[in-house]
Amino acid sequence: MDSRSPSVACIGFIGRHNNPLHISLFPASGTGYESERNKLEYSFMLNSCLDIFEARMPTKGLTQDFGLLHALDERIAMYGWVTNTGVKIVVVVDMEGVPAEGARVTAGLGLRNSDLTPAFHALQTTYIRLLRNPFYVPDHHNPKLSKGTGSLQITSPRFIRDVERIGKTWYPGIGTM
Amino acid sequence: MATKAARIGEEVWKSRVDKINAEVVTLTYGTIVAQLCRDLTVPNTINKTDYNAVNKELDRMGYNMGLRLIEDFLAKTGTGQCSNFRETAEMISKVGFKVFINITPNVSNWSKDSDSFHLVFEENPLADFVELPDDGRAQDELWYSNILCGVIRGAMEMVQMQIEARFVSDVLRGDDTTEMRVTLIRIIEDEMPPDDE
Repeated sequence: MDSRSPSVACIGFIGRHNNPLHISLFPASGTGYESERNKLEYSFMLNSCLDIFEARMPTKGLTQDFGLLHALDERIAMYGWVTNTGVKIVVVVDMEGVPAEGARVTAGLGLRNSDLTPAFHALQTTYIRLLRNPFYVPDHHNPKLSKGTGSLQITSPRFIRDVERIGKTWYPGIGTM
Repeated sequence: MATKAARIGEEVWKSRVDKINAEVVTLTYGTIVAQLCRDLTVPNTINKTDYNAVNKELDRMGYNMGLRLIEDFLAKTGTGQCSNFRETAEMISKVGFKVFINITPNVSNWSKDSDSFHLVFEENPLADFVELPDDGRAQDELWYSNILCGVIRGAMEMVQMQIEARFVSDVLRGDDTTEMRVTLIRIIEDEMPPDDE
């Protein structure tokens, strides 16, 4: 049995009013493991994280690293981060996502919270870049203020590209992203 | 001659200019353009932006700015009159842009009779982090930094030169470079006011 190493399964951005802003899925790779991730299943998983955020919401309003939110089973674990504006970033890690090779060969002892920190920093930077675009109006993605119907998710191609790049290139022990 | 202009620009930027945070400028300009896109819509539609009207409005705003900026520029740099259009181009690119937004676009593509040139912008602080809206038309119709064309047009008019400035390519649209074409239309001669007698 090849040794496997953790990889990102899903990245989710959830807005201040618990509205989904963006969900990116990353399929597992390697023989016998390939399968598309089920979007609905991962939506439910992200939903379940919201309760954990609610319970531990900090009163001070600084960007908080929640670390491991919840370990679903042997393979899936969810890590979370909330910014001071209430935007929540969730990274779902698949412990057996990719074959362990090259830079990904790790001691295999499991994941530390600090392993996810470069990914969260990079995701926060991507989100800030999106906010700096004058044509992105955060209120349009807010279900309480927006008058539109249909999906209120982020559509900026550069943002989606950056999130996918972060998800694909992350491995435990990576330095800056 | 080119280095003299560069030296003037550098010296004035370092000593005689008040500085402002670049992010504030970028965000303010971005808000202006986004707001114009929301306000100026094609007649009889609600949300369809009229990008040509936005371009014209940015040009008009820039024109009004240019009329006033030229006084400030001449006072700060103390330069005399330029002897030919080539010298004017150097002054605009090495001193003018340097003193006000700390960039030095390159002058290139002179036409055969030296009456038009291209300004090539390696960096454009007004357009940092901007992504044009995805409605299929902005990419082809909106010149995001069009205020700069207006500024040059306004400033030149106050020194008796009528010029036309317009963008020919923009990295925000997916082109390789951001280039503005500046063409001299005519030198404005002072006209005597109509005789009272």
